[in-house]
Amino acid sequence: MINLKGIKKSFNKSEVLKGINLKIEKGEVVTILGPSGSGKTTLLRCLNFLEKPDGGMVQIGNIKVDTEKATKKEMLTIRKQSAMVFQHYNLFAHKTVLQNVMEGLIVAKRVKKKDARYRSELVLEKVGLKDKLHHYPSQLSGGQQQRVGIARALALNPEVILFDEPTSALDPELVGEVLSVIKTIAKEGITMVVVTHEMSFAREVSDRVLFMDGGVIVEEGTPLEIFHAPKEERTRRFLQRISGDSFFPPLKERVN
Amino acid sequence: MGKAFDPSLIIEFIPTLFHYLGVTLQILAASIFLGLILGVAAAIPRMFKIPILNQLVILYVSFIRGTPILIQLFLVFYGLPAVLQIIKIDVSKLEAIYFVIITYAISNGAGFSEIFRGAIRAVDKGQTEAAYSVGMTSTQNFFRIVMPQALRIAFPNVANSVIGSLKDTSLAFTIGVMDMMGRGDTLISATAHALEVYISLSIIYYSVVLLFEKTLGKLEKYFNRYQKADLSAAA
Repeated sequence: MINLKGIKKSFNKSEVLKGINLKIEKGEVVTILGPSGSGKTTLLRCLNFLEKPDGGMVQIGNIKVDTEKATKKEMLTIRKQSAMVFQHYNLFAHKTVLQNVMEGLIVAKRVKKKDARYRSELVLEKVGLKDKLHHYPSQLSGGQQQRVGIARALALNPEVILFDEPTSALDPELVGEVLSVIKTIAKEGITMVVVTHEMSFAREVSDRVLFMDGGVIVEEGTPLEIFHAPKEERTRRFLQRISGDSFFPPLKERVN
Repeated sequence: MGKAFDPSLIIEFIPTLFHYLGVTLQILAASIFLGLILGVAAAIPRMFKIPILNQLVILYVSFIRGTPILIQLFLVFYGLPAVLQIIKIDVSKLEAIYFVIITYAISNGAGFSEIFRGAIRAVDKGQTEAAYSVGMTSTQNFFRIVMPQALRIAFPNVANSVIGSLKDTSLAFTIGVMDMMGRGDTLISATAHALEVYISLSIIYYSVVLLFEKTLGKLEKYFNRYQKADLSAAA
């Protein structure tokens, strides 16, 4: 379904991706973990050519692109295979909730307005925003905005939805509503690649977890394997650092 | 010196001067319209860093910013016919008002190009990324996503330029254009009541500017309709 071969990317001579090979099956939910600067977001952005890889091959569905020779047209075609949910939502600020979701359908997919509207209302209902159709993004909470972002991606019915730290910019009390929407659509068999820092979410939802560091995939496996029996030292150290478990109990004891 | 101050003349002069408001507005409308076109044309080489043209635009903008508009007016009025003479085009019979319009268009164009460039750059990059992520081309992204938002950002500055330009048109009389100010000049010669004429003129200019501010303010509200501050004010 998705096939990456030897994806390389450098920014100003520092190599961020050092030749990534990755295969993702249809309907698979893959989460990418890793410290900041490990290249996980860059890898995600290379999938839809928001960053143009310096070398390697990207295949999504039936579209295959040699990144070194990629033309504008090829980049556009492969982009249409995917949709993205952004960390900072990136909703079109001058458009209403409904227009945000319809925009891609009408402009990029050339769906008739009536059909686009019908489909958009359907997905907005699914993310629980049927009563906000004519609101502007600035009138919504962060959690609601991100749910619109998910609806916008979902409406396009893409081969894969790319999630770039979808809950990192949210207030803690809003994280739950967004995660539960992502969980619902994950169960529907949509292929998803999720870059996240939400460990419990990764554990619960993913079919496969990748751990990235220093521009390479250090380790991959089922959530059970990665979280309970990581093979690599780097993975172990990262998980130890990120899990709050080891920090909170002593603090709690002190309060008591 | 003039005669004794007579306040009743102020009221009396207003209709005479007001009659020439049309000329002032004509200059304004034509120069803003041409200036907008020139501004877009000048912003493009700057945005895309087109070699040579980019440097020329930088020079153009910096020259217009760095010289008084009155001097620009004289440069065009005396310079343009001389330059066109070389390629055998005779514009000596052209009415002075056209030189005024050309000058103000050039001047406004420089200002607008900077306003547009700044506004387009001020639109969040994430908007473009989102547009690409749903499969839009760069042209679709520019016209459907970036430009509408850039217009909102540019609008207050454009509005200021329009009002500034309206006042600047009062310099047109220096090359013999019969606008409000030009008529005022002849009124002074005829009546020797300079102060009254200037007071009348300021009343008219001020009223027109107030009217413009009101209208442009309403338009600005419209452009800001999806912004937080305006939404909460409406609620």
